[in-house]
Amino acid sequence: MSDPVLSVERLAVWFDTPWGEVPAVRDVSLALQPAEALGIVGESGSGKTVTCRSILGLLPANARVAGRITVEDADVVQLSRRELEGLRGRRIGMIFQNPSSYLDPVMRVGEQIAEGMRHHFDVPRRDARASSIDLLRHVRIADPEGRVDDYPHQLSGGMKQRVMIAGALACRPRILIADEPTTALDVTVQARILELLRALRREERLSLILVSHDLGVIASICERVIVMKDGRVVEEGRTEEVLRRPSHPYTRDLIGANPSLVPAAEPSRPASRSGQLISIEGLSVTFGRRRGRLARALLGEGRPPVQAVRDVTLSVAEGEALGIVGESGSGKTTLGRAITGLAAPSGGRIVLRNDLLTGRRPAIQMVFQDPYASLDPRYAVGRALAEPLRWHRLCPPDQVEARVLELMTAVELPSILRGRRPHELSGGQCQRVAIARALATEPRALVADEITSSLDVTIQKQILNLLRSLRERLDLTIILISHDLGVVRSLCDRVAVMHEGRVVELGGTADIMRAPEDAYTRELIAAVPRIPQLEP
Amino acid sequence: MMAEREIAVTVEVGRPRVRFSRLTVAGAVIVTAWVAVAMLAPLLAPYDPDATDLRAFLQAPGSPGHLLGTDHLGRDVLSRIVYGTRIDLSMGVIGVMAPFLIGVALGVVSGYSGGLVDTVLMRLVDVALAFPFLVLVLAIVAILGPGLTNYYVALAIVAWVPYCRLVRAETLVLKRSEFVESARLLGLSHVAIMRRHILPNAITPAAVFVVTDIVLTILLGSGLSFFGLGAQPPTAEWGRMIAEGQNFLSQGWWISVFPGIALILLTLGFSLLGDGLAKQLRVRA
Repeated sequence: MSDPVLSVERLAVWFDTPWGEVPAVRDVSLALQPAEALGIVGESGSGKTVTCRSILGLLPANARVAGRITVEDADVVQLSRRELEGLRGRRIGMIFQNPSSYLDPVMRVGEQIAEGMRHHFDVPRRDARASSIDLLRHVRIADPEGRVDDYPHQLSGGMKQRVMIAGALACRPRILIADEPTTALDVTVQARILELLRALRREERLSLILVSHDLGVIASICERVIVMKDGRVVEEGRTEEVLRRPSHPYTRDLIGANPSLVPAAEPSRPASRSGQLISIEGLSVTFGRRRGRLARALLGEGRPPVQAVRDVTLSVAEGEALGIVGESGSGKTTLGRAITGLAAPSGGRIVLRNDLLTGRRPAIQMVFQDPYASLDPRYAVGRALAEPLRWHRLCPPDQVEARVLELMTAVELPSILRGRRPHELSGGQCQRVAIARALATEPRALVADEITSSLDVTIQKQILNLLRSLRERLDLTIILISHDLGVVRSLCDRVAVMHEGRVVELGGTADIMRAPEDAYTRELIAAVPRIPQLEP
Repeated sequence: MMAEREIAVTVEVGRPRVRFSRLTVAGAVIVTAWVAVAMLAPLLAPYDPDATDLRAFLQAPGSPGHLLGTDHLGRDVLSRIVYGTRIDLSMGVIGVMAPFLIGVALGVVSGYSGGLVDTVLMRLVDVALAFPFLVLVLAIVAILGPGLTNYYVALAIVAWVPYCRLVRAETLVLKRSEFVESARLLGLSHVAIMRRHILPNAITPAAVFVVTDIVLTILLGSGLSFFGLGAQPPTAEWGRMIAEGQNFLSQGWWISVFPGIALILLTLGFSLLGDGLAKQLRVRA
């Protein structure tokens, strides 16, 4: 084996915070060989991002670092600010999770790509522009001459990530660090970005560190993988080996929790036992309105109205679990919001079974994506759960407390958490509180909108298991909205695939996964990164 | 945001220690000291503030029995400043109450309702902002007649605007948040949502602005008194005292200067406290 291009020895990072010292990375060592792709996998808080950032000296001021990080004979930990600047971009390029927030919105993309070149090599403006165009072509952006003068808002998410990659490669670094580069992107876009990274590695002999929470993404690129947990490396080895024979129990959990590997839901339940609960007929939802004639004459056309949902016809049977799958902008969230009444239809209708309309308490509830945002930050768990009970007088005042505990038990939350506020809970715990609160009014149906997508995979699995058991115990109808086919597959009997506001395919989950009919569905299924060795 | 939460979750040692900057603490100490002076006025003041003593008029500071001297009617300046604290302090605190309540209520309603209600209220705000604040207060007090009560009325009419804008801005964000939507789905009424979920979360910037606003209210109130539109003689009020000493500046500078210093110290305390709180709670004010 040749000399590594990058080595990290006994790295430890901790932060000084008002809560005291918080260790983020404890004793991490790794080495990156030339032209090698190394994956770092772990959950949020496992220290994978902090490890990467310390390689570039990009830590916040309250961070303290011990250990050695060697890049081309220099110890990064000891470098001065000026020396670090020479390292960043020039020796090591980095790309981040959310391309939108890392691109300057008021700077043309060509200038942003060239910024590093001009800084490091003093390239004249005209040459820099030409190189930017070359780089854009290199990252496979169509019409690079036309795009070079665009502003970031004119590009799609995938194109922005390509621009970030182009910028990171501008000074021809030998090492590229990609921190969750595809997490904010749709699966089909993710597949294309991963393909680009693979091609770039081959062409440029780049050494790559790819950080991801998704083993599928890592497996599709990296030869070697490091598994991190609580700031430590718990397992390291060739990707194939680690996936096939994980030695650490945590790695086994991680592999087991990967939704693409969870067995599909059995279509056990007869779809219509007591008929349709919700029928949606020709539903359309439009945002915005075309301006009136006078306003158009005075102010111009303005923004055209956006049709988020177009002519959707769908019915949900009692006790069923229906999945709605689609990429961002496909209208799946709007459809869910229309079902609960949060979005007003502009055409068509939603018919609820009669008994859902009688009674004051709402029969359809919703759980949202961001568990922290869906709870009032000032309400402790107990108070948040008691509120709907008291408001609808669902039980006598002296029994509210008991009912709150019952709800907490139902979502498997320990009762000691009753006095905690959302910021004192983990994401998974918050999501359980949100579910319990939604269940307080004993609804017949629950719309779950991306409820697992901000959670770690192992927590995600727990929440899905909880939904499954609630469904059986309470005879709850569940409408699960997700961009993740794996999540939907593990819970739902039927699935509706949405694309550009329409339902393009509807059918049994297993059937659609096995033999998708629609071209878009096929693309969606093919784009999901898989752990190849474990495919059945 | 996420990173901070992660830290909070990993450690779980309860609330972080809240540390106030030295200047904030200094502000709090100054304000507390003035409140103590106001409450203990009868104990601290050596004389009745309104008692004239024509045998001892225009005594210089430090003369026997009169630490800060006496004015042209022989009233003890120290005693008048001590009693004046009651007027000036309460003027600030009472003056901001009505604007605070009105502004916060209108802000929540305006932001949450949107549509016509919001448009009408915001145009009202625009109108109020288009007039110079000071001129408007002066005009209202001139119409209603001099006196502190009318000053409070004038403030209630014009000074709610910044509170309304601060709270409305917060409300607009909160209205779209998922916890408010879930409260709607649970069937809570709009009024309940505004009162339970919006108001407590939207009020922080307005509450911090109160402290800063007290400074403006005290300065404006004592300014009005200086011009004879606020507290009426013989009330011991600092602005009034400065005005009364004006004619005697060459013989008795202390009559105006000491109440002026008191005014500076009181408003400085509130300013430091207000800035410190704003920084601590990360709100713009």
